Amino acid sequence: MTTADGTVIGTTQIRGSAPRNRAFNVVLLGDGFRAAEQASFDTACTALANAFLGTPPFNELAPAINIFRVNVSSTDSGADDPAAAGGTGATVRTYFDSTFGGNGIRRLLLCNAATALTVAAAQVPEFTTVLLIVNSTIYGGSGGSIGTYSLAASATEIGIHEMGHTAFGLADEYPYYAGGDETGQDHHPGPEPGAPNVTINRNRASLKWRWAVNAATAIPTMTNPDCSTVDSRPSPVADGTVGAFEGAHYYHCGAFRPEFACKMRDLGVPFCRICRQVIWNRIGPLAALTARAKTPLTVIDRYPEHLDVFAVASDGRTMSNWWDQSSGWAGWFQLMGGIASPGGAGSPVTAVARYSGHLDLFTVGTDNRVYSAWWSSSGGWSNWFQLGTLVARAGATVNVLARYADHLDVFTTAADGRIMSIWWDVRTGWSGWFQVSGGVAAAGATVTAIARYPFHLDLFTIGTDNRVWSCWWDDRSGWSRWFQVGAQLARPDATVTVVARHPDHLDLFTTAPDGKIMSTWWSARTGWGSWFQVSGGVASAGSPVTAVARYSNHLDLFTVGTDNRIYSTWWHDTTGWAGWFNISGGVAKPGSQVAAVSRVTEHLDVFVIGSDSVVYSTWWNASTGWAGWFQLGIT
Amino acid sequence: MTDNPQPTPSAIRLIFEYDGDDVRLILQQPVDVAVTGFDAHPEVRAGRYAEVRDADDTPLTRVPVRTSDLHSAEVFPETPGEPITRVQVERPTGAFTVVVPAPAAARSIALIDVAAPDPEDTGSRDAAPPGDGGDGRQLDGFRVTDITSFAIEGRGDTK
Repeated sequence: MTTADGTVIGTTQIRGSAPRNRAFNVVLLGDGFRAAEQASFDTACTALANAFLGTPPFNELAPAINIFRVNVSSTDSGADDPAAAGGTGATVRTYFDSTFGGNGIRRLLLCNAATALTVAAAQVPEFTTVLLIVNSTIYGGSGGSIGTYSLAASATEIGIHEMGHTAFGLADEYPYYAGGDETGQDHHPGPEPGAPNVTINRNRASLKWRWAVNAATAIPTMTNPDCSTVDSRPSPVADGTVGAFEGAHYYHCGAFRPEFACKMRDLGVPFCRICRQVIWNRIGPLAALTARAKTPLTVIDRYPEHLDVFAVASDGRTMSNWWDQSSGWAGWFQLMGGIASPGGAGSPVTAVARYSGHLDLFTVGTDNRVYSAWWSSSGGWSNWFQLGTLVARAGATVNVLARYADHLDVFTTAADGRIMSIWWDVRTGWSGWFQVSGGVAAAGATVTAIARYPFHLDLFTIGTDNRVWSCWWDDRSGWSRWFQVGAQLARPDATVTVVARHPDHLDLFTTAPDGKIMSTWWSARTGWGSWFQVSGGVASAGSPVTAVARYSNHLDLFTVGTDNRIYSTWWHDTTGWAGWFNISGGVAKPGSQVAAVSRVTEHLDVFVIGSDSVVYSTWWNASTGWAGWFQLGIT
Repeated sequence: MTDNPQPTPSAIRLIFEYDGDDVRLILQQPVDVAVTGFDAHPEVRAGRYAEVRDADDTPLTRVPVRTSDLHSAEVFPETPGEPITRVQVERPTGAFTVVVPAPAAARSIALIDVAAPDPEDTGSRDAAPPGDGGDGRQLDGFRVTDITSFAIEGRGDTK
């Protein structure tokens, strides 16, 4: 009963076409199938593939899933079935040495896991998870690093439940160890389990899955009145309600699960909302992100060795990816189930890092309300929460800045174009929304803001007359009136990009109705300059201009040209404006934006939505120049 | 990993065999597989991990090893609606695999256990003082214990 008792015949990919190095690769091995019985194994694999890919959320993730069948012939048919465990006493010669009767329990079906993993690694080096199907109609299966199951009816459910453990780190949610009649399982002893779908924490504010809990749902949602036994009452809330249900992780009390029912608790039921999201977050990042074409990307450098990128998928999902110098790109994941407003160019996810271990996010939801969420290095992600009752313009951008670490100023446009603001301070929390000095923006225009000092704000937008307007706030004098910045006409949906190379200087960039890239400046000594076209540049209709100041005497600009190529130019105080040049042959979606950040002074990271709607990145540094574009997914 | 955020696909599959408390590496295989941030996340959680280290033994990244509970086995009901149960395994034997990122600076890999702070110990008179404690290191308050470590093949000697 060793590998001498059979032969590896070969491998067949039976589902999927994702690149193996960027896929969730499932390997199905067979044991106890003689050479003449391989068709039976093939049929079992097809049944598993159908059941697996028919199970939410795997059905939605199928483009990133490959399934491989590894045919292995055994000398004998079936598996050992020890009489001591109530079996027939059969002993058979099979490649993976499968046997019923593990631990004296007949339906506990075990195999030689080292052999199974080694064969899988040889046949499909990129494999993610392995299931072993045993040629027997005796009911059986087991978990561990290799999920095993027999050909008995419904045994495929075992394989999918076990995958929850081995591939996704999901814990068992059942509230007993040996069926519920045992002693010693009354109270979970702690500490907090590391798994994402069970907890001993009953605090709403710090609950692991708080992002999915509706504010109206009680926490705990269901408690066990008798900890000496399993709570057998029905759910007090509607199916699918995410809360905190007592009885999980093998204990009657003291441990909670996210939903009343879940496949990690009972076979034959769907995965709960939290487990589905965990599965999404494991498999989803393997795929490239198809982004909403004109919705701006946001990139934040919380510290020089780390980037956080925020985007909106073509179906509106709010997405993020991060890069760390030590581990590379993490892959795209959805931010707390959020869906952004599809109006206009589409609402982006905007972000600010008040300090290196914290992010604040903002977007406009499909109900056109403004939402925020935060991440902290100690507590992870919060849920999205609504900021007041403002109804924003569909697809509006919410711009945010932190004048200092304990304060946020947020700006957007209301449904009727009014320029609105709200602020948060650590001492007082969120204020109410207010209109900024009676300002009204053109349809599609954004409001941009900059803080040259912690006590000063400058705002810019395109007014209903399609001119560039500005106002300021100073903590000594409050909000100024809006004033027109020269007579330059702009596209009504243009963005006014502003950068302060030093506190007493502003550089403004926007696009004229004919797409010309226009700039002006303000200096504390000389006031406002005249508008001028930057090096003859013309932008694709709707594309904004992005500006980065790496030094106080240097600017880098980026945009998408009328030929949809990605262009850059720079200004240096000694040489003036350079000509526009195409970055590494890059081509973007018409009307899309180029996001750029300088995490160190001699380095730029640039992000775009390519002509195929996939997010791409490149970088520049002083010693090597511009790199080639690469798809932004996972390293 | 370079200083630039470019993709550099490089990973290593490890297969371990265990018998009781003994854990033995039986395969170390370079593989072109993307390790997502889902696995190589920077947050510290309790569990067993494969930790990639540089030449100075400085941790570069950690990937969880998902073995479920080695000391018990899950037994599934034959009849729908019946409970799934677990049974104790007196002497756990088996194998598990993990794929870790292998950036250019990686020189060794350690299998580690990360234990959450015991709530019973918090603030108690008998609680150990913060710090290494003599037989392991601390990571954001979690105790880290090395199980085994080994050099990455073809990456030169570690210090």
